[in-house]
Amino acid sequence: MSIANLNRPADAFEQLETEDGVRQGVCHIRIQQRTGRKTITTVQGIGTEYDLKRIVQYLKKKHSCNGTIVEHPEYGEVIQLTGDQRDKVKDFLIKVGIVNESNCRVHGF
Amino acid sequence: MADDLGLDLGKKKKSKKVIKIDGDDAPVETGVEAVEDGLGELNLGAKKKKKTPKTAGEEVVEEKVPTLEIGIGAQNLIDAKGAWPDYTYEEALTLVYQVMKDKNPDFAGDKKKFAIKLPEVARAGSKKTAFSNFLEICRLMKRQDKHVLQFLLAELGTTGSIDGSNCLIVKGRWQQKQFESVLRKYIKEYVMCHTCKSPETQLTKDTRLFFLQCTNCGSRCSVTAIKSGFKAVVGKRAAIRRAEEATAGK
Repeated sequence: MSIANLNRPADAFEQLETEDGVRQGVCHIRIQQRTGRKTITTVQGIGTEYDLKRIVQYLKKKHSCNGTIVEHPEYGEVIQLTGDQRDKVKDFLIKVGIVNESNCRVHGF
Repeated sequence: MADDLGLDLGKKKKSKKVIKIDGDDAPVETGVEAVEDGLGELNLGAKKKKKTPKTAGEEVVEEKVPTLEIGIGAQNLIDAKGAWPDYTYEEALTLVYQVMKDKNPDFAGDKKKFAIKLPEVARAGSKKTAFSNFLEICRLMKRQDKHVLQFLLAELGTTGSIDGSNCLIVKGRWQQKQFESVLRKYIKEYVMCHTCKSPETQLTKDTRLFFLQCTNCGSRCSVTAIKSGFKAVVGKRAAIRRAEEATAGK
């Protein structure tokens, strides 16, 4: 153990705290291939204080796609949207301020 | 003769380009040219100089001739004994950079490019894709194929494995450019040094964490662990349920 580790925060997530004191995990936006050239987009790691149902409702209407919320034992509530909506979702989440740009990871090709 | 013609052509192109680029300065620019024409050979060097950074590919052969003359121009700039035409700022700048490059070749701002082979991708059946030079690319990046494979599959959100003939089979239809962009992400995250951007790095595992150690600048930083994260159900649910029941029954 190096000496630099002595003053580490007790809570591992403490260092994720931003200037405004909002605690944020990292938000992952992924894409998965379905049959043919169809794809689905998954958004994982949006803070629990946000009403996912309303976010999904907005995204569905705005980008004319379907979408649901899926409960996962490890990752919590995950948004699923049909089609490749990665960039649009990212823009939306950052613009509204739900996630920080540095905490938003877009995966996939 | 032919050579001369070729050079002249290049020259003309050059001057046109310059005018286009900085429209406002056009008159000044032409004035300089006139002076230079009067001076003859020396200026040729200076002009050619400008050409080197901006023009691409085709004129590589011609460039060999001008480089000598550039030398003369650069010398003039330094000791100022010979005729000294009115250099524009741009010209002077390129000359200075040329001198710097000549004096210490391994230092100057020339970026060494880290090139990697293009992934060779072929369709294996209707639903799978074969990535035939996967191991070769791993070797070029000096990374373990296991690690690269893990990243690739997590990023693409599919499953896959390496078959008998050292060929990666990935489920789903993928194109070359898709693999390419994922490999680019991998290189950015796990091959290039985050501090100095050099690819001369080593990936070591230390107490469950991966560290990237740079052999060039000696920096050492931790890299994020690969996690595939949430995976949505895309297959047939009935088939999955059946499989679950079968395993539960046994």
